[in-house]
Amino acid sequence: MQPDGRSREWMCSGHVGCAGCGAAVAMRFFLKAMGEKTILVVPACCWSVIAGPYPQSALKVPVIHAAFETGGATASGVRAALDMRGDTETTVVTWAGDGGTFDIGFQALSGAVERNENFIYVCYDNEAYMNTGIQRSSSTPYGAWTTTTPGRDWKKMRKKNIVEALVAHRIPYAATASIAYPEDLIRKAEKARSMKGSRFLHIFASCPTGWRIPSEMSVKIARMAVQTNIFPLYEVEDGVRYTINYRPKEYLVREYFRLQGRFRHLKEEDLDQIQGMVDEDWRLLLRKAGGGA
Amino acid sequence: MTAEMIPRALIMPRTHETTESNKTGSWRFLRPRYENKTSPCSAACPAGEDIAMIEMLAGRGLFKEAWETILLENPLPGTCGRVCFHPCEGVCNRKDFDASVAVHGVERFLADAAARNDLKPVLEKLPRRPHRVAVVGSGPAGLSAAWFLGLLGYGCDVYEALPEAGGVLRWGIPEYRLPSPVLNVEIARIESGGARILRGRPVTMESLDGLRKDYSAVFLGCGLSRGAPLRMSGEAPDAVTDGLVFLRNVRGGQPPPCDGLSAVIGGGNTAVDIARTVVRLGGKSAILYRRRREDMPAFQDEVSMALEEGVELHQLLAPEAIRPLGRRYGLVLKRMRVEGRDRDGRGRVVPTGETTEMEVERVFTATGAEAAQPWHRPPSGRGSGISLSHCVLVSEDGANPLVYGGDPVNETKNVTQAIASGKQAAMALDTFFHEGMEAVEARLAECRVGGGPALSMEIYMGGPRRLRSSHVVQPGEINTDYFRFGARMTQPRLLVEERIDSFDEIDLRVSAGTSIREAERCFNCGLCNQCDNCYVFCPDVAVRRGRDMNDRRIDYDYCKGCGLCAAECPRNAVTLEKEDAP
Amino acid sequence: MMRVLEGSHAVAEAVRLARVQVVSAYPITPQTHIVEILSDYCAAGGMDARFLRVESEHSCLAALIGAQSAGARTFTATSSQGLALMHELLHWSAGARLPIVMAEVNRALGPGWNIWSDQTDSLAQRDTGWIQLYCEDGQEVLDTTLQAFRLAERVNLPVMVVLDAFYLSHTHEPVDVPGQEAVDRFLPPYSPRFRLDTKEPFALSPLVPPSAYMEMRRDIARAMEEARVRFRDVEAEFDAVFGRRYGPVEAVRCEDAEIILVASGTVTSTARLLLEELRSKGEKAGLLKIRMFRPFPAEDVRRALGRAKKAAVIDRNVSFGAGGIFAQEIRAALCNMPDRPQVFGFIAGLGGRDVTTAVLEDIYLQTKNGDVPPGESVWVGLQEVSHATGRA
Repeated sequence: MQPDGRSREWMCSGHVGCAGCGAAVAMRFFLKAMGEKTILVVPACCWSVIAGPYPQSALKVPVIHAAFETGGATASGVRAALDMRGDTETTVVTWAGDGGTFDIGFQALSGAVERNENFIYVCYDNEAYMNTGIQRSSSTPYGAWTTTTPGRDWKKMRKKNIVEALVAHRIPYAATASIAYPEDLIRKAEKARSMKGSRFLHIFASCPTGWRIPSEMSVKIARMAVQTNIFPLYEVEDGVRYTINYRPKEYLVREYFRLQGRFRHLKEEDLDQIQGMVDEDWRLLLRKAGGGA
Repeated sequence: MTAEMIPRALIMPRTHETTESNKTGSWRFLRPRYENKTSPCSAACPAGEDIAMIEMLAGRGLFKEAWETILLENPLPGTCGRVCFHPCEGVCNRKDFDASVAVHGVERFLADAAARNDLKPVLEKLPRRPHRVAVVGSGPAGLSAAWFLGLLGYGCDVYEALPEAGGVLRWGIPEYRLPSPVLNVEIARIESGGARILRGRPVTMESLDGLRKDYSAVFLGCGLSRGAPLRMSGEAPDAVTDGLVFLRNVRGGQPPPCDGLSAVIGGGNTAVDIARTVVRLGGKSAILYRRRREDMPAFQDEVSMALEEGVELHQLLAPEAIRPLGRRYGLVLKRMRVEGRDRDGRGRVVPTGETTEMEVERVFTATGAEAAQPWHRPPSGRGSGISLSHCVLVSEDGANPLVYGGDPVNETKNVTQAIASGKQAAMALDTFFHEGMEAVEARLAECRVGGGPALSMEIYMGGPRRLRSSHVVQPGEINTDYFRFGARMTQPRLLVEERIDSFDEIDLRVSAGTSIREAERCFNCGLCNQCDNCYVFCPDVAVRRGRDMNDRRIDYDYCKGCGLCAAECPRNAVTLEKEDAP
Repeated sequence: MMRVLEGSHAVAEAVRLARVQVVSAYPITPQTHIVEILSDYCAAGGMDARFLRVESEHSCLAALIGAQSAGARTFTATSSQGLALMHELLHWSAGARLPIVMAEVNRALGPGWNIWSDQTDSLAQRDTGWIQLYCEDGQEVLDTTLQAFRLAERVNLPVMVVLDAFYLSHTHEPVDVPGQEAVDRFLPPYSPRFRLDTKEPFALSPLVPPSAYMEMRRDIARAMEEARVRFRDVEAEFDAVFGRRYGPVEAVRCEDAEIILVASGTVTSTARLLLEELRSKGEKAGLLKIRMFRPFPAEDVRRALGRAKKAAVIDRNVSFGAGGIFAQEIRAALCNMPDRPQVFGFIAGLGGRDVTTAVLEDIYLQTKNGDVPPGESVWVGLQEVSHATGRA
């Protein structure tokens, strides 16, 4: 598990992410793949705060913090300006949470991708509006407690499939990645960097605080999400060519759910139902990838 | 009014420093610490070999370093890699994941590779000491004592009664298990460590007194070289031979005739060795054992091979009498049956009342060994001395001490336990010379591997191993997410037809590639192997690496104590403890 | 070169001449012509710029915030609902100290859908930190747009160039379109005081705690103050190259006026006609055109209105609960003056209803004949509507 020579750090210690923050791990890996010539656009999300209050920045690349909805649009503008200045080397990256991607930021993202803007959009997904205190987003999974889906009102809508939504735009490159699989994440980031047009990475970034898990479980939980097919690792090129990167042993989802406080209320029949939903989604993905059900 | 005012700096939301001035270490209530711990294999090894380290080095191709790591705890890896009962593999944390690591096989490879390349070990030795120690017997206990005393700075004279050194290694273990050339290399190494082996120099009770005066201490590793007599009626000296004598003669180049069927009474390795030797000499053999196969103390692997080679195994039979039967003999055997369990868990057997007779050419006994002379054993009853786990130290009225070790002292009698005796004796004597008898137990207790009883010479000599926690890593503490299933190496062997034709070594040579791959299967329980998971996953960039591959440290100014480093360390080399722990 | 252009086209010409590098816009009547002409220029090669066809006005301004931060000169145009949608980012642009220039076509806000002239949309954004300049005719629109870039980049504040829907945006007038070389003399290439740069990484617009935020806001206020001075410089430089200047206000025959009409936008042109009529009848009337609304030219207003007895402020806008907005600002400018004129406020012309000389004359007479201003603002030109049915 050597990151082979990518020892240069683009993220500083002293940032104010929670202990065990998956989003911090994700940023660290991602920037190792991107390197110096990167400009980050950060709409409102946890990283707006993690990056440090004025006058500090936790990142060694230029950052423009932006309004919540504007991830896709601000990046389009930065790209246009760089192009007009003759800079073809710098990569423009939007780094957004699930709120700014799935919900309030979806319009700008969709618009940018439809225009095939030349940028990378990264959504680090902690499955709720964590920055504002764990409220539900359309990325919150079926079954989860959040502060706006409390008690019996636990979320009974499925998690929106953002990758498939963008695949429908015929986006040149879209991929899922996980903090538990660093080499895969870095490979995909480097691949995205080498391409042009709109590229999207959906990174599973555990949140100990919001998911009610001990901080040391961040990576383990992320790994389990992949191993149970809840969060498969796959890539889609040009909206048509699917590649599944990892076919796990298909552990049962039960164990994944049992370890997280945000799912504590689920009963056996709920878990059975969820297992059915996960299996169905996995079979659908297999069909798209050309392997039968 | 139109004058160009000097533009002043904008006061605007733009950063101008990093977050590095924010010492988030103050958030912590748990603190991680690199702490190497004890692997279960090394705790189970009677010689306390640092097995996790050995496999780590071997897996990297650092064969010399791995071999030297063995020699620091066990001077006879070529031997143990062939004849040890490898308790390490029995407790290997990988056992329930897919299969235990073939520590035994890797040890053999390392020893043979070192011999093949004529490597000379570079080991730290303590400065020369004025005391000289006499060692009686050049079996594994004596050789071990001489080796470790050498490391501790003492000159040794090893008195060996027989013309060749090695003790039971030479005379009791057949060539096809432990070839002479291998043993010779091991013994030569002990000699090049400074010990002088005096062959053909027997010691008597009288000459022992002289040794006690001439030397600062005497170590007695005389072993149990006489076979226990068989209690049956009609003993015929021509028919019944002490199995150990038989093996000795075979090794001495004077095998007696072995045609026809030889019965071998006993169930230990000696019995199996005898039976298989007979086959190689052209005869047939049958092992007769009073209990069941699963109760046999012999290595099950050896028993299986014996059966493949045509050795018969007759269970639940005990000898009652022997009578001449023409040119042969009739061996009358009691049938036994199992009734409950003995204290050691093996089946308790009682006679059924029935008997049977077997016509045999001769009988070999292998039902246990005894001391050839009473003074080979430590004196019974409390004297002025101490009983340690693997040796007995006797010193009355300030006289130069006697130390007893090996089979006469050890509860479990085998080569590796004997080596442990030699090591323990060397440590005990060194402590005795420096600090007196009272200090011995406590000093040795500090050197326990994982709580003992095995001791580590590296710890005794103040090496880095002393910093390891004695906590033995449990299987549940290994993060198996980081390991893929991998088949355990298969030990290539001669075919059965090839085996029984000669005394050639059965186990064939294993390649370096195979050994590396096998060593890489080791989880390295409790030992940081620089996998860098801690560095990779730290969300706060608080694990810093130096240029040296081994240099890894936690920056406590920033560490928030999240515990990811500990959870993602595959081998429990990071300990998480409360922040205000001392 | 003299050309007959509609107001939208005049804006577009100025944007082209200003060498804008990134344009982003979302179509909304009556701004569409500006956008279409610029699209055309970018496609045909008449303009070397990237045109971002974003999917909403909010994204439009977001894109320009990104582009300007990365070091490009930017421009957009919008109106009414679009401007309202941008509201959050109007605040953001000023707070981020970005010299973005926008053409704002004054159009009424719905409901009901009304695409015609009304000032409420731009004035509702008066607190956002944007400089606001209200234009009367096509030439002024072109000139002001050029001036806007120079002023914005001097003080690092965004500038809104405001023009009436249809009355200005779609009215063809003779306009002197300057040559590129002259414009280059007036407006040098954009040299950002800060920009996103991988060689000097910093973060823009991070979290700012209470201990630091207020100073940043003070700096915006100070820039607004400085804009008054800078604007004079800019106009002087403009005058030197093009021979035209307008001032933050224009006072017409105010020195001896007893009653001064205060107007902005195209209503000013109508008021000029009425002024002639009134003066010819012997009325001591005057006209004050307000061009710069933010920063509010209080000093100029006091100087122009100080000696008059009454001011009749015409607001083509309303702030519900407080009346016409120009009237409020003028009252505030005058409030500490001894012997200040009475301010009579009038709301007229909302939603594109025509403000004729008759309407203005009515306003003048009401002012003349009124002893005391009856409340904040008087609504003029209303139709009779039944209170029972809500219909005319």
